[in-house]
Amino acid sequence: MSGYDVAVIGGGHNGLVAAGLLAGAGRRVVVLERRDRVGGVAELFPTAGRLRQSVVDSLRLRDHGLELVRPDVRMIALRDGQAPLVFHADAGRTAEGLRSLSAADADAYPRYDQHVRALSGFLARLNRLTPPRLDRPAAGDLVGGIRLGKTFRDLGPRTARELTRALPMAVADFVGEWFESDALRGALAARGTLATAMGPWSAGTALVLLNDMAEGDGGPAGETALVRGGPPALAGALRRAAEAAGAEIRTGEAVASIVSAGGAVMGVELASGERVEAQAVASAIDPRTTLLDLVDPMAAGPRLRWRAGNIRAAGHVAVVELELSAPAAFDGVDDPALLAGRIVVARGLDELERAFDASKYGGASERPQIEAVITPPAGGGAGHRLHALVQWVPADIEPAAAGDLLVGELERHAPGLGGLVTGVTARTPSRLAEEYGLPGGHLLHAEPALDQFFAWRPVLGMARYRLPLRGLYLCGSGAHPGGGVTGGPGENAAREIARSSA
Amino acid sequence: MADRYDAVIIGGGHNGLVTAAYLARGGLRVCCLERRDVLGGAAVTEEIVPGFRFSVASYVVSLLRPEIIRDLDLGRHGLEILPLDGTFTPLDGDHLWRVNDHARTVRELRRWSLADAEAYEEYGRLMVHMARFIKPILSVVPPDQGRLNPLEWISLGPLAKRFGELPRRLRDTFIQVMTMSAADFLDQWFETDPLKATMSASGIIGTFQGVRSPGTAYVLLHHYMGEIDGAYRAWGIPRGGTGGVSLAIASAARAQGAEIRTSAPVARIDVRDGRAIGVTLESGEEISAGAVLSSADSRVTFERLVEPGVLDEDFMADVRRYKFRGSSGKVNLALSGLPDFTCLPGKGDHLRGAISFSPSVEYMERAYDDAKYGRPSRRPYIDMIIPTLVDPAMAPAGHHTMSCFVQYAPYHLADGAQWDDAARDAFGETVLDTIEERAPNIRKLIVGKQVLTPLDIEQRIGLSEGNIFQGELSLEQLFFNRPVPGWARFRTPLQGLWICGSAAHPGGGLMGAPGRIAALELLRERRGGRWRR
Repeated sequence: MSGYDVAVIGGGHNGLVAAGLLAGAGRRVVVLERRDRVGGVAELFPTAGRLRQSVVDSLRLRDHGLELVRPDVRMIALRDGQAPLVFHADAGRTAEGLRSLSAADADAYPRYDQHVRALSGFLARLNRLTPPRLDRPAAGDLVGGIRLGKTFRDLGPRTARELTRALPMAVADFVGEWFESDALRGALAARGTLATAMGPWSAGTALVLLNDMAEGDGGPAGETALVRGGPPALAGALRRAAEAAGAEIRTGEAVASIVSAGGAVMGVELASGERVEAQAVASAIDPRTTLLDLVDPMAAGPRLRWRAGNIRAAGHVAVVELELSAPAAFDGVDDPALLAGRIVVARGLDELERAFDASKYGGASERPQIEAVITPPAGGGAGHRLHALVQWVPADIEPAAAGDLLVGELERHAPGLGGLVTGVTARTPSRLAEEYGLPGGHLLHAEPALDQFFAWRPVLGMARYRLPLRGLYLCGSGAHPGGGVTGGPGENAAREIARSSA
Repeated sequence: MADRYDAVIIGGGHNGLVTAAYLARGGLRVCCLERRDVLGGAAVTEEIVPGFRFSVASYVVSLLRPEIIRDLDLGRHGLEILPLDGTFTPLDGDHLWRVNDHARTVRELRRWSLADAEAYEEYGRLMVHMARFIKPILSVVPPDQGRLNPLEWISLGPLAKRFGELPRRLRDTFIQVMTMSAADFLDQWFETDPLKATMSASGIIGTFQGVRSPGTAYVLLHHYMGEIDGAYRAWGIPRGGTGGVSLAIASAARAQGAEIRTSAPVARIDVRDGRAIGVTLESGEEISAGAVLSSADSRVTFERLVEPGVLDEDFMADVRRYKFRGSSGKVNLALSGLPDFTCLPGKGDHLRGAISFSPSVEYMERAYDDAKYGRPSRRPYIDMIIPTLVDPAMAPAGHHTMSCFVQYAPYHLADGAQWDDAARDAFGETVLDTIEERAPNIRKLIVGKQVLTPLDIEQRIGLSEGNIFQGELSLEQLFFNRPVPGWARFRTPLQGLWICGSAAHPGGGLMGAPGRIAALELLRERRGGRWRR
């Protein structure tokens, strides 16, 4: 038969991972990317600390040029008028630094480190699984379930109970039970609200926090790994790996629709009118667009369209990039090494929650949560870049206003920074929606809340990477285990696709 | 030495009384001890203003288990539930009025949105199905998730099986109600703002959450659980106030031979050789018993009544971090007449049901925002009822009582502020101002007033931090984590000590479920001759 085994819609990092793995398993694969280059939103992030080790290994990304730099300083949390909190890779060293803040917190920190590692270690196992069918578990689910049950039991009764308690918690409570310093609470809780439309008092944000640590050497401050060469280097390595495995990659080719007949996919039709035949279609774009815009409405039916339309994906996060003429000087930062990791503004639990509150009523935070990374210019010299997530903002905020929000906040911590800015590129949620095809502009394709998690991400009955057309798969961030540069959904989906088409 | 009783129960609230009644019915010698001079705990009727009787705290019967009504024959013991018809939401220049007559409600909704009127029927059907599915959870003894003992999980087997048999749509809904916010859940169906606001309000009652907080959708179901309980409409007000429920249960317990004492505050739980052997009253009287069951909350039971050092430190650490966070207050008014709402003047039937001050989702959420930062809501959500319209005997002829449940009033105030007299007065005035904006004659009608802050509820009723459910009903404090992970099976690490109040699964509300399951569990264990744990 002519055509491909698998057509992958979208050349974002998950699409490339799935394509590379499937091609490596002997499938004829084509990746169809609407834009003129691959990488998708991953091109906005200079860090890839959560990229799964198994993905790096099986695609031999190092051989294809991926180099990850892991600074000793994972993260600093900026404070008003005080030296920042510093989080090192080593928990003991971090704890010593916290001692001046609070002796009790310094003592608690290494235990907290152990605790979150135990809990997120379980999530790491969970994230590798294809979620089970909840209604009629299949034999394979049972095996997975038993393995998971054993992992759960191995946690020991106390930690196992803690896990069930922690998952649905608000991250404010989760960190609040461990620490007394509000600055520390805020800095650690920010991992639970990053890139979401939830504040720290929203139930389920503890799960986001733990999930963030599930890949890589997480720990409380999260992993930090900078891609040498900047974000394009990751996309480049993924592309080379996929192509080396035999996948064909076509950029500038927008998919207009998924072609199906009799409840089974036949391939896709491109905007150019060309038809690409394929046994299976794997969508690395978000589930809403896939089901609402690409699947024939007659084939989907009203009920499926209603469900897809209710997938929550409202974006409230802007991605802003600043070009700086010189390195910025931050208050209380005397060692440039402190700026090598992630730079976080999350000044306390109430401050974070206030920043979130504004978004509920369509406004922008007065003082936003920020996560930023500064990349030095290639080859030295001037031209530092600061990449930041700024939240929370309304979807249609003016790009200039989003830029001002970031610069205004950073100016408080690095007086004079504003004067160093030579260029601002602000991507508001609306612009993210337009430029990257994200519905609602949500960076994670679907809100990582308790109602869109694991066996019901993106919705119940579609969590096993199969969408309700025979041969149609979901392999992007809208699928378990969710968004972020992990490659997890791509890897899990590729396993399922390979299994089905064996 | 023979024990005086087989079981002594701490607290004569509705759950304590239910436990007493079931244990006596099971043939045990039982004594129930109430601190106050009136029975009922939070389900209590008192004459606050001469001639006016109030359901002081809990004001409606929501989910009193029909099996309790049946088993204890509460009808014969004086329980009579009067239906509350409908929910009236006053708005600026308009109103939203839903009644039990479904066709009329749908006509009313059509005024707002044709799509919503249509969705309302579908939504109602779905929720009734869902409630029917979930109801058995209310009677289950939660397993210990840390031990994975198959015997404990067996009780969940039928539930899992029924889940598999549910139509896909209901499985979806199940996941959603367990995880979503009330507002997000309702957004899927409806577009009318006051409708969503009023419906979502039931998701936040008694919790320190907002209508947009994940985990609040579940409580929406409670309203529909009442509807499926058959002949007995479980949503209404008891004749004689909510104290009427407690008195009926007490009467049933006494008829079974239980002894019930008021003005008998327990000072401590007596422990010998690592097991609870009875209680000592504040009077110094010692009462020995084979088992002690506490219907008080976990803080009172484990931190105040059990002497320090008896329970191990891990357990106590878990007890201490359990969240109460009372969020509501109560304003009870004695009135010389009926409020006149600007948006719908007159003394019509709209006053006979619940009157909900919930004009928009944003209004509800802003009320929560105030509370998050330690301030009473500047414009609170109020759930108002006028009991005398269905039970005129509660006030002198021509007069009325009005009950206002108010949210939010956080127990912990910001900036070191205390719930002193001035704060209480200010809170009461805020409530009256809020009412006055929509019913301008309210202040002229007032002949008596009682304002209860969360601190008042704590001190008067004995509920820690004024939490009406004996602990926040947040997802992490439900089911096998209520009140302490690993100790949700009504037993405690202290042998012979049990919990039987809202602190235990399935939590608060005038439901009686914890009291009943705890009693049945103790009886079962006795029959099995096993007294371990």
